[in-house]
Amino acid sequence: MAVSLSKGGNVSLSKEAPGLTKVLVGLGWDVRASDGADFDLDASVFLCAASGKVRSDSDFIFYNNLKSSDGSVEHTGDNKTGAGEGDDEAVKVDLSKVPADVQKLVFSVTIHEAESRKQNFGMVSNAFVRVVNETDNKEITRYDLSEDSSVDTAMMFAELYRNGAEWKFRAVGQGFKGGLGPLAKNLGVNL
Amino acid sequence: MQTLARGQKGKLADLGSTDNVEIAIQVSGKSPSALDVSCFGLDGDGKLSDDRYFIFFNQKDSPEGALKMQGGKYGAEESFGVALSKLPGTIKRMVFTVALDGAGTMSDLGPCYVDIVIGGTSAARYAFSGADFGQEKALMMFELYFKDMWRYSAVGQGFNGGLSALLKNFGGEELSPAGAAKPAAAPPPAAAPPPAAAPAAAAGAPKVSLSKVTLDKKGGKVSLIKGGAGQQQPIHVNLNWDNPNAGKKVGLFGLGGAAPPPDLDLGCFWRLTNGDKGVIQPLGNKFGSRHAEPFIYLDKDDRTGASSDGENLFIMRPDLIDMVVVFAMVYEGTANFGNVKGRLTLKNGSQEIFVPLNSPDSRLTFCAICVIKKNGNEVEITKEERYFPGHPECDAVYGFGFRWVAGSK
Repeated sequence: MAVSLSKGGNVSLSKEAPGLTKVLVGLGWDVRASDGADFDLDASVFLCAASGKVRSDSDFIFYNNLKSSDGSVEHTGDNKTGAGEGDDEAVKVDLSKVPADVQKLVFSVTIHEAESRKQNFGMVSNAFVRVVNETDNKEITRYDLSEDSSVDTAMMFAELYRNGAEWKFRAVGQGFKGGLGPLAKNLGVNL
Repeated sequence: MQTLARGQKGKLADLGSTDNVEIAIQVSGKSPSALDVSCFGLDGDGKLSDDRYFIFFNQKDSPEGALKMQGGKYGAEESFGVALSKLPGTIKRMVFTVALDGAGTMSDLGPCYVDIVIGGTSAARYAFSGADFGQEKALMMFELYFKDMWRYSAVGQGFNGGLSALLKNFGGEELSPAGAAKPAAAPPPAAAPPPAAAPAAAAGAPKVSLSKVTLDKKGGKVSLIKGGAGQQQPIHVNLNWDNPNAGKKVGLFGLGGAAPPPDLDLGCFWRLTNGDKGVIQPLGNKFGSRHAEPFIYLDKDDRTGASSDGENLFIMRPDLIDMVVVFAMVYEGTANFGNVKGRLTLKNGSQEIFVPLNSPDSRLTFCAICVIKKNGNEVEITKEERYFPGHPECDAVYGFGFRWVAGSK
């Protein structure tokens, strides 16, 4: 059952998909049809400790650091234009492998060089982020970036956080000015 | 009145109306050409499947009158009336556009805006100007679209190819390049605000042409316009491309340094009317000859695509040509034809012909871009954009019959 998310909405993954162990966060968008610089959207994940910050720089999973050292998070690679059907970038999470001191995973979506290219999510056609239960391939939830984050250039999309024995999913939908750099710094990455 | 940024989207209901709205459009600019405002009523696939919903100066009302061009109103140059509940269910988007007919680009625009007017008052405004644009000759300024409910979007994106490219984007009929001017009685999309001035095919008296022609489609042809005294003029062929690696770095955390820029080579196979033939390209240092046969030469080997000049080939005596195949090769760098946006410009006196590589094959490194061929008294340029693994395969198709050996720079 797919739940359509709005900002601040809470979804208990264990309720939507009991026994969830493998999650895929997919990012997709259309190739630019008009003339101008390509739309290059990037998905990233931050493995955060109880402090709310990353334990080290290698906890920042993005196009230049595709796998976490413990194998719990894997990024499928940088798509620079949105070419291809479905998910153009994806991050796979094996919740059973996430170390005990990681209390939450923060997922973000940013537009590469948004300032210099003068782009925002509203200019991109059909930009979405979705969460899929990898075990049965069912889409748990989806967020429409083009519609609901039209004037943003970077945003913290959602969090997967521990709540006792289970994992919960919270839609954050918080826009962030300045792009991936300030967003990462804010979560403790040394840039 | 709410101020809208480019890219901003929202629900019409939040502005106070779910049915009748007006769109007031103010456009002005310093370009010498006229600015034509139109509206495209598109289907769910974003296509103009019904020509009667292309609203422009020659067709001001949609069949049921739900979409109308009203003329100047509320102090703006142009306005449209939209009765959403009267629109047929097939129309899911209305895109308000402006196109330049002739010289200039959208960077010449002065202060402009699109207002959503509800009950006679402006509810929201998307303001824009030439500073927001570059080489575009047609813009999708604003759009009303249906997605669960009616919404608006300040689009602010456009096409360098002008109205022709805009129509292609909407799945409409493409305007033909100069040399095959369509009659005014053609179906609405082709009879739209006149295409970039199409000169009459050169015949008899020489004409000065200020036209800039784009050969968008493969097979598109144009004849070279002769100079005074009916002589063929030298052709300046320029190849340019983008550097997709600009700003990107390689290695972990980008510590490997700047990614190498792509190296493209411009060259040609040539054959003169006397039967002599050859190849001109940087590989093997075959730069040609300006003052002796074949009177075709390469200017310089730009290895980065960063130079605003790109690479240049000069054909000084087109009258001696039987056939020339102009090609480009991707030689080095991590790029391929898919991500460099290669484009060829041919200048012949004041005539300019633009040949974009708009259907690139990123797997192949050799592209026959166009053929320059003698056709009776005329010299014609035909867009090919055919991709090959290398020289021999291209030669096989065009029949020059060269012998090929490996080379390097």
